[in-house]
Amino acid sequence: MTGQEIVFTLLGVVAVGSAVMVVTTRQLVHAALWLVVSFGALAGGYLVLTAEFVAWVQVLIYVGAVVVLLLFGIMLTRAPIGPVPRSGEDDPLDSGNRWAALAVAVATAAVLITVLVMGFRDSRIRLEAGGGGAEPLGGSLFRTWVLPFEVLSVLLLAALVGAIVLSRTDIGAEDDEPGTDIPARTGGPAPDGGARVGGAKTGAGTDTGGRTGSGGSKGGGAKVDHSAEIAGAETDVKGGDGKAGAAEGSRGGADGARGREEGGG
Amino acid sequence: MSAGVHIIAAPGDIPAPHIEYGQLAPMLIVFGVAVLGVLVEALAGRPWRYRIQVPLAFAGLLAAFVWTIVLAWRHEPFHVAAMGALGVDGPTLFLQGTILVLALVSLLLIAERSAAHFTAQASALPGSEAEQQSMSAGITQTEIFPLMMFAVGGMLMFPASNDLLTMFVALEVLSLPLYLLCGLARRRRLLSQEAAVKYFLLGAFSSAFFLYGAALLYGYAGSVRLSDISAQAGQGAGGETLLLAGIALLSVGLLFKLGAVPFHMWKPDVYQGAPTPITALMASCTLVSAFGALLRVYYVGFETLRWDWRPAMWGVAIITMVVGAVVAITQTDIKRMLAYSSIAHAGFLLTGVVATSRQGLSGTLFYLAAYGFTTIGAFAVVTMVRDAGGEAAHLSRWAGLGRRSPVIAGVFAFFLLAMAGIPLTSGFTGKFAVFSAAVDGGATPLVVVGVLASAIAAFFYVRVIVVMFFSDPEADGPSVVVSPATATAVALGLTVTVVLGVLPQPVLDLAGTAASQMFVR
Repeated sequence: MTGQEIVFTLLGVVAVGSAVMVVTTRQLVHAALWLVVSFGALAGGYLVLTAEFVAWVQVLIYVGAVVVLLLFGIMLTRAPIGPVPRSGEDDPLDSGNRWAALAVAVATAAVLITVLVMGFRDSRIRLEAGGGGAEPLGGSLFRTWVLPFEVLSVLLLAALVGAIVLSRTDIGAEDDEPGTDIPARTGGPAPDGGARVGGAKTGAGTDTGGRTGSGGSKGGGAKVDHSAEIAGAETDVKGGDGKAGAAEGSRGGADGARGREEGGG
Repeated sequence: MSAGVHIIAAPGDIPAPHIEYGQLAPMLIVFGVAVLGVLVEALAGRPWRYRIQVPLAFAGLLAAFVWTIVLAWRHEPFHVAAMGALGVDGPTLFLQGTILVLALVSLLLIAERSAAHFTAQASALPGSEAEQQSMSAGITQTEIFPLMMFAVGGMLMFPASNDLLTMFVALEVLSLPLYLLCGLARRRRLLSQEAAVKYFLLGAFSSAFFLYGAALLYGYAGSVRLSDISAQAGQGAGGETLLLAGIALLSVGLLFKLGAVPFHMWKPDVYQGAPTPITALMASCTLVSAFGALLRVYYVGFETLRWDWRPAMWGVAIITMVVGAVVAITQTDIKRMLAYSSIAHAGFLLTGVVATSRQGLSGTLFYLAAYGFTTIGAFAVVTMVRDAGGEAAHLSRWAGLGRRSPVIAGVFAFFLLAMAGIPLTSGFTGKFAVFSAAVDGGATPLVVVGVLASAIAAFFYVRVIVVMFFSDPEADGPSVVVSPATATAVALGLTVTVVLGVLPQPVLDLAGTAASQMFVR
C-alpha cells in the first residue's frame, strides 16, 4: 500500500464517519459543522486523485457556500439551535419513517457499491500530476463543452426569473400606477364595484357585459375598474344566470376570491 | 510536477471552439428571445409588457421555424455541430420543426387574455388578502412568456443532444421552467401548486437517475458521447454490469419525461393542476421532445445492444398502453382523463421505438406530429368550456354540451375520435404507421396488445361523446366562451387532424425523408 492509498483511505473514513455524525447529532448547528468536515475530507480525496481544481471548487462551493447557506437557513427559520432533548413520541428531530429511510439508504448504498465493484474491480487508473488542474478543465469546458456550459447559464437565468416570480410580493405596487395605494383601497370600493358589475351582468348578459359595466362605473378609479373586470369575467361564465351573477358580484372581492377557490376545488 | 509546469500556457493559446451558428440558429433564436423577454420584464412598464411579450414570442418561434425549414430545405450534409454537442440531421430537424409549430399553437392559448389562465401574482398565498389585491389591480404575470421560451429552447436542444451531458443540461432547461409554469394557475391555485411541487420533486428524482446512468455509462465507455458509447458496446469492451446498469438508469430518466408506466404517477396530477395552456404545451411539445431524445439515445447510443434493451422496452410499452387505457376509464375529471390518454399514447409510440427500423422512426415522427396537434386542440376546447369557478373540469358538467353548443362538442368529439384512432383522422394514420413498423420489426404480439388497448381506449373516448350528446343538459351547465386566439388554436388543431387523416401522404413522405438518413452519429 502506497502512502497515497493510505491517505485516501483515511480521508474516506473521515468523510463517512463525519457523514454519520451529520445525521446522528442532536444539535442542528453541529450537523452543519460535521458536514464541513465531510466535504473537506472529500476535497482531500479529490486532491489525492490529482483533481486539484475540483478539490478547490469543492472547498469553495460546498464548504464555503452550501454550508453557510445551511447555517443561514437554520438562523432564519428559528430552528432549535441548542441541544434538542429526546422527547419520546413527538421528537422534533425524529421521524417515524427513520427505519424505512435507513433501509432505503443501506439498499441504495449496497446497489451502488455492488455496481462499482463489479464494474471497476480490475481497472487501475494511472494518476498524473496536473490531470485535474484548472487548465485542462478550462480547456475542455470552453472548447468541447462550450455549448452545454453556455446553456447552463440560460438555465440559471430561468431559475432566477422563476424564483422572483414565486417569491417577490411587492410586484405591481409601483410602476405604472403611481400614487395608487393598493392596500388603502381594498376595503371600500371593491365590493361596491363588484356589486355594480353584478348589475351590469344581469342587464347585458353577454361576455362583454362585465367590461362595459366597469367602463361605465364612475369615480372608482383604475383599481375598481380592474376589480370589476375580474368580477365580471367571473360572473359572465355563469351563462345567463343573472341572479347568481349578481349575488356573487355583491359578495365583493375578498369573498369572491375565496369562493372561486372553493368553487374550483 | 514537470507536466504541471509545462501546461501553463500563454493567454490566447486556447484554440477557439468551432460553433456552426447557422445550424444552431433555431435554438439560439428561441433562447435569445427568452433573454429579450427577461429584459422586457425588467425595463418595460407594466402596461406594455404583455403587448411586447406576445409579438416577441410569436416572432421568435416563427423565425426559428422558418430557419428550421430552410435548414431542412438546403439538404446540407447533416453532421454533428457545436464541438460534437448537437446533431443536426433529418429526424432532429423534423422534431424541432414539430416542436416549434406546436409551441406556436400553444402560445395562442397561453397568450389568451379574455379568459385569464394564469395567476395575477404567484407569490400571494391562495385565498389571501394579497392575492385579492393583485387580482383587483389587474396585474398579469407576463414572466410566463420568457419562461415558456426557455422551456421551448430546452425542448429544441433535448432531441438534438449528441452526448449525455448536453442532454442532461437540455433536460433541466426544459424542465425547470415547466415546473414553475405548472404552479401559476389562476384558479384552484392550491391544486396547481401541489402539481408543481410534485412535478418538481419527482422530476428531480428522475434527473438524478439520468445523471447516475450517464455516470455509469461514462465509466463504461470513457466518454459520454453517444457514438463512442455505441462503438465501445459494439466491441463488447469492459464490464457488462456498468453498461446495463447505465442503460437502465438512463432509461428511467427518459421514460419519466414521457410518462411511461412505472414512472407515470406525476402525469395525471400535473396535467390536472397545471394551467390548461401549459398542460397543452407539456402534452404536445414535451412529449415530442422527450421521444426525440429517447429515439436518439436508443437508435444511436444503444443501437448495437438492441437485444438487451428490447425486452425491457416491450414490457414498458405493454404496461404503458394497458394501464393508460384501463385507468382512464375510471377518471371523472376531463384533464385527468386526457392525461391517462396521453400515457396510453406514449405506449403506442413506444411500439415505434421497439421496431428499431427506419420505418419505425418515420412512423414515430409522424405519430408525434399528429398526436401533438390533436391533443393541443382537445385541451384548447377544455379551456373554452367554463363554469363560474373556471374550467368545467368534471365530466358530469359536460353533460348535454352537444345540445348547448353543438359545434364545440362536435369538434371535441372529433378530437377524441382522432385519439381513439378512427379512420380518416390523423390518429388512425399515425397508429397504422407505428403498428405496421412494429409488425415488420417482429413485434407482432406487441401490436396485438396495442390494438386491444386502442379498443379499450376507444371506450372512454366514446363515453365522453355519449355524455356530451345523449344526456340532458343541466340547468346551470357550463357555458362556452369562444375567444379568437383559442378558437384559432382549435381550428388549427382540427385542420391538421383532418388533413393528416385524409391526405397523410405529404407528411408521411416528409417524415420518411427525414428518417431516411437516420440520426447522425
